[in-house]
Amino acid sequence: MLRIDQYAYSNRLRFTHPVEKFAFAVITLIIGLAASSLITSLVITLLMAGVVILRAGIPMRFYLKLMSIPMSFLILGVLTIAVSFSGEPFSFLWGVKIWGFTLGVTAGGLQTAVNLFWKSLGAISCLYFLSLTTPMVQIISVLKRLKVPSLFIELMNLIYRYIFVLIETADKVYISQSSRCGYASIKTSYYSMAQLASNLFTKSYHNSQMLYTTLMARCYRGELNVLELPYAFSKKNVALVAFIDLGLVILALWTGGVLSAGGHS
Amino acid sequence: MYVNRSKMALLQKAQKPMLSAFFEGELSNKLAKKLGFALPPKTLLIFGVSFLLIWGNPSRAYAMHIMEGFLPLGWSVFWAIVTLPFIIMGLLSIGKTLKSHPETKMLLGLAGAFSFVLSALKIPSVTGSSSHPTGVGLGAVLFGPTAMSVLGCIVLIFQAILLAHGGLSTLGANTFSMAVVGPFVAYGVYKICQKPGAPFGLGVFLAAALGNLLTYVTTSLQLALAFPAEVGGFMASFVKFMGVFAVTQIPLAISEGLLTVVIFNLLVAYSKPELQALSLISSQNISSKGVKI
Repeated sequence: MLRIDQYAYSNRLRFTHPVEKFAFAVITLIIGLAASSLITSLVITLLMAGVVILRAGIPMRFYLKLMSIPMSFLILGVLTIAVSFSGEPFSFLWGVKIWGFTLGVTAGGLQTAVNLFWKSLGAISCLYFLSLTTPMVQIISVLKRLKVPSLFIELMNLIYRYIFVLIETADKVYISQSSRCGYASIKTSYYSMAQLASNLFTKSYHNSQMLYTTLMARCYRGELNVLELPYAFSKKNVALVAFIDLGLVILALWTGGVLSAGGHS
Repeated sequence: MYVNRSKMALLQKAQKPMLSAFFEGELSNKLAKKLGFALPPKTLLIFGVSFLLIWGNPSRAYAMHIMEGFLPLGWSVFWAIVTLPFIIMGLLSIGKTLKSHPETKMLLGLAGAFSFVLSALKIPSVTGSSSHPTGVGLGAVLFGPTAMSVLGCIVLIFQAILLAHGGLSTLGANTFSMAVVGPFVAYGVYKICQKPGAPFGLGVFLAAALGNLLTYVTTSLQLALAFPAEVGGFMASFVKFMGVFAVTQIPLAISEGLLTVVIFNLLVAYSKPELQALSLISSQNISSKGVKI
């Protein structure tokens, strides 16, 4: 169903302390965003790919496939930034004239676009490290430590649990609809899709009622408390994370400086 | 026959719309070189725009969340701070309802899961491609905009982590456009249409379509603010992003509006008691509305 979720539970870093993984992903992400050098982004992309494929044991093919998911947004967004238009021919590197407007590429736009492309790839690698090595239950436990309101946490737990129930329901409805030619034409597919959605809604409602009844039968007092698995901090891992991120900071400062500080670009 | 076949091939490429569009452009350039003459720019532009509208539609892959790392750090933090009050407001209002009706928590949990699954469904679009609904209009009318901002934020976290759509650093910006602006616009439009007694269907259609569209206008605004064009500044950049992310969204917004109307008609026809129970969180009763089908 959700392949990323499956790998999160079956990878080799599954039982590493969740805070270590979370910190590694988020700190590296922030370094990647704050750094303005192309090399830092490239190093982060490769580093994360290496850790995910070699250390966590995620198949390379799957990882590459994941990398292609945001490509449509990335290429579209980057192209939009690279291409500018103007009434008068500015300092375009290359351009075409249409109806008195010049549509073309400027040096600055191109530079921003290229930098952004690699920066986004680096950032998305950090996200993938987190989502491929850390099951949602662990991420939620980290958020709990970060003092996110308990209502938010409980809603997250409930939603996470029921996503799978509802996906399964929707899948079954979809299969039975399409095996009865429910998606044969646009008109029927609209109707089928609406039926699916409204049915799913009714089912969700009844599921919630049943859940409440079961919880009440088990002395529910307004809070959902679950036990967490105990994890041990590994000094080696903490040192490794600190070493790598320190190295990245030094690399970023050395090769390009900090973008967000507004100094040099 | 040949045209049909190439069309089919393009349809099969639907999984990677932008890649195919990219190579298509590359191909036409090569073709021009081989032919010895370049296509006139006007034709190229018209071709490109229609290509973007029909084949390169980004939303076919997924609803357009700003991807991880696309916004600079400053803007990510800015949008997170802007969004935070709405989330806190939503949590407080949910907390208040929970005191008198503790079962609402389960209902909200299921509502969130429902929104997530809904956004993973594919709806057929009027241009012949299919897209994913944002579910913004449906959620706002069913659950109310305050609850929707919290649910939307959680759904966006799950979409980022489980589906790789959106991201953690852009969570604030995405929550603002999809879980704050979209639902509030949809709800406002729905309420305004109620006043003069406009037909229920029209209100729902406009709420869903405008909720969807305004979400992407906000996304374009966020991108343009972060990346003002070198020539022409913010406005030029806004026009560019609007052209790419919002104009292409119009047919999809219409499809979502139509779908939402059909969903509501079915709900009103078959699920009146459930709708009545929902009035707890959305503080309105829609079970008596609707059109016979």
